[in-house]
Amino acid sequence: MRKFSFRFVTPLIAAGCLVMLALILTNRELPAHLFSGANLQSFKILFISIILEAFPFILLGVVFSALLQVFVTDAMIKKFTPKNPIAGVLFGALLGLLFPLCECGMIPVVRRLIRKGMPAYIGIVYLLAGPIVNPIVYASTFTAFRTTPAMAYSRMGLAFAVSVIVGLLLYKFMRTSPLKSATHTRFAPHGHSHSHDHDSAGKRFRSRVASILSHASDEFFEMGKYLIIGALLTAVLQTIIDRSTLTAFADQPLFSYLFMMGFAFILSICSTSDAFIASSFSGMFDFGPLLAFLVFGPMIDLKNTLMLLTTFRVKFVLILIALTAGLTLVGAWIMEVLL
Amino acid sequence: MTHHLIRAAILTGFAMFIVYLDRTGEMMLYIAPRMELYVKLSAIGLYAAAIYQVYAALQKRIGQASPACDCEHDPSPSVFKNIIIYGLFIFPLLLGFLVPTGTLGSALASKKGVSLTGIIGYERTSAPSPLAPKDEASIAVSPVPALQPEATTQDPLVALFPYDEYTEAHAAYGKKLYRQSLITVPEKQFIETLTTLDLYREAFMGKEIEITGFVYREEEMGHERLAVSRFAMNCCSADALPYGLMIIWPKAIDYAEDEWISVRGTLTTSTYMDNEIITLEVVKIERIQAPESPYVYPDLDFG
Repeated sequence: MRKFSFRFVTPLIAAGCLVMLALILTNRELPAHLFSGANLQSFKILFISIILEAFPFILLGVVFSALLQVFVTDAMIKKFTPKNPIAGVLFGALLGLLFPLCECGMIPVVRRLIRKGMPAYIGIVYLLAGPIVNPIVYASTFTAFRTTPAMAYSRMGLAFAVSVIVGLLLYKFMRTSPLKSATHTRFAPHGHSHSHDHDSAGKRFRSRVASILSHASDEFFEMGKYLIIGALLTAVLQTIIDRSTLTAFADQPLFSYLFMMGFAFILSICSTSDAFIASSFSGMFDFGPLLAFLVFGPMIDLKNTLMLLTTFRVKFVLILIALTAGLTLVGAWIMEVLL
Repeated sequence: MTHHLIRAAILTGFAMFIVYLDRTGEMMLYIAPRMELYVKLSAIGLYAAAIYQVYAALQKRIGQASPACDCEHDPSPSVFKNIIIYGLFIFPLLLGFLVPTGTLGSALASKKGVSLTGIIGYERTSAPSPLAPKDEASIAVSPVPALQPEATTQDPLVALFPYDEYTEAHAAYGKKLYRQSLITVPEKQFIETLTTLDLYREAFMGKEIEITGFVYREEEMGHERLAVSRFAMNCCSADALPYGLMIIWPKAIDYAEDEWISVRGTLTTSTYMDNEIITLEVVKIERIQAPESPYVYPDLDFG
């Protein structure tokens, strides 16, 4: 599993380096200039601030996941998850209203839910919709786009639609578990059980607390390394890429969508604050590309792609990215035409 | 056991780093004040995890099996891979503790693109509305009717500060500013004030304005112009965006990039890169100490 992730992380970093090289060449900036004091400062501040900002959310995610692991039995998950696929997909898409986690905390939780027997397609729908369809993100989008409240509604609506469609497609076509290490079929619960049966209640409680801490800290390290690689690349790209040179292409319709989606992917900022970034672009880009930015970014970005790769099979992650990107592009374009 | 101890050390390191940032006041360089509490709480979580790792290490040492299963998270047996993985965690710590901290400045501002007109969204969406009229007559013929209460039409301020449903707060704030003889752009509502000045530039024409920020310069500004800028942060510095106000001063070139200045001047407009933007004609300019917090934050209670 680790070998697997290494095989793909190294090329990803190499690709990142190539992108940077290309940018350096096109900007005709000397590499020496890039590592000047000011850029190093910017890099340091951005890099550490992304990590610091993600810590509370990632900790919340791993603790929540550990609590699920220790206190919620597979049977309970099965009982609460709707059997009907359509109801299940809708359930997944609205789960964010109950458990508003951001994307950093989402992945360990979803993995845990799938291992505990929640159908994978429902878990994925929660993974996609959760970081957007929740009250916190609605409030921040509404605040950032006070002049165009349609943005907040469309963001919720499109995210909901995209995740539901992805969920239904996955239900129809996904035959094996998307999880990496798991070899079981998608409805089989994870192999090992956690019934630490001890005699006295006191001992069981202590064992449970230890178990929560153990799961949480192990998962923290597993997720943390991808967070750090993601933060590193994001900080480097933000320090190097000159926004104004790229936005020169903002006039070409298709390109502006792809640009904003690519930009969301690279930025990897939390879904609670990305609306403010998007609103800073509202002078340059139309409604559609901004909507694509706001919907695609929280679902898929550089940081969480790396984290997805720890959990899900590579082929599955690539298909998921392609599906989400395609649907977001089409959806945002339709919204632009309609509104 | 070594794994547990290394992990304990890294977790403690991050917790210590957060405490260090809090004590030195450097936290505000990275994180917006409203996020600080969560980051501090996460330090407690990191400590708890570190203590657990030491406990697990001790348990392994006395030969007891770990109380929890680590069936799925067994660390890789390869030493090389482990060095890379743990190195990855140690890198930000080293960077944080050892590299002296500066602030974001012109270098990043030029990458992100400084907004010289406040929040752009308002200008764009309100372009057809009577927000930037050339004279009062154009208000009357404006295609989008402003939501003005009838009763107050006698008040001259109403004509000066037309608003629609989205700029109501700015209009109210603009009226308040209009009554002041010297308008100081405050830290608390930096962006809101710049946006208001830009929206109602006609009303504020010739008014005396005071603003503080770092010097930001683009090549096209030449020798006589520079922008007094601040970074506005929402959650963390990764989402910080630079906002500025252009000033005209014959000896503007004397001020180096990233120097902190306080400027007083009268509001006018000038053309920059084919756009008409609000500009200060400088009356008084002085170098100042960098303020405690280099950032400004959007005032979420505004309006």
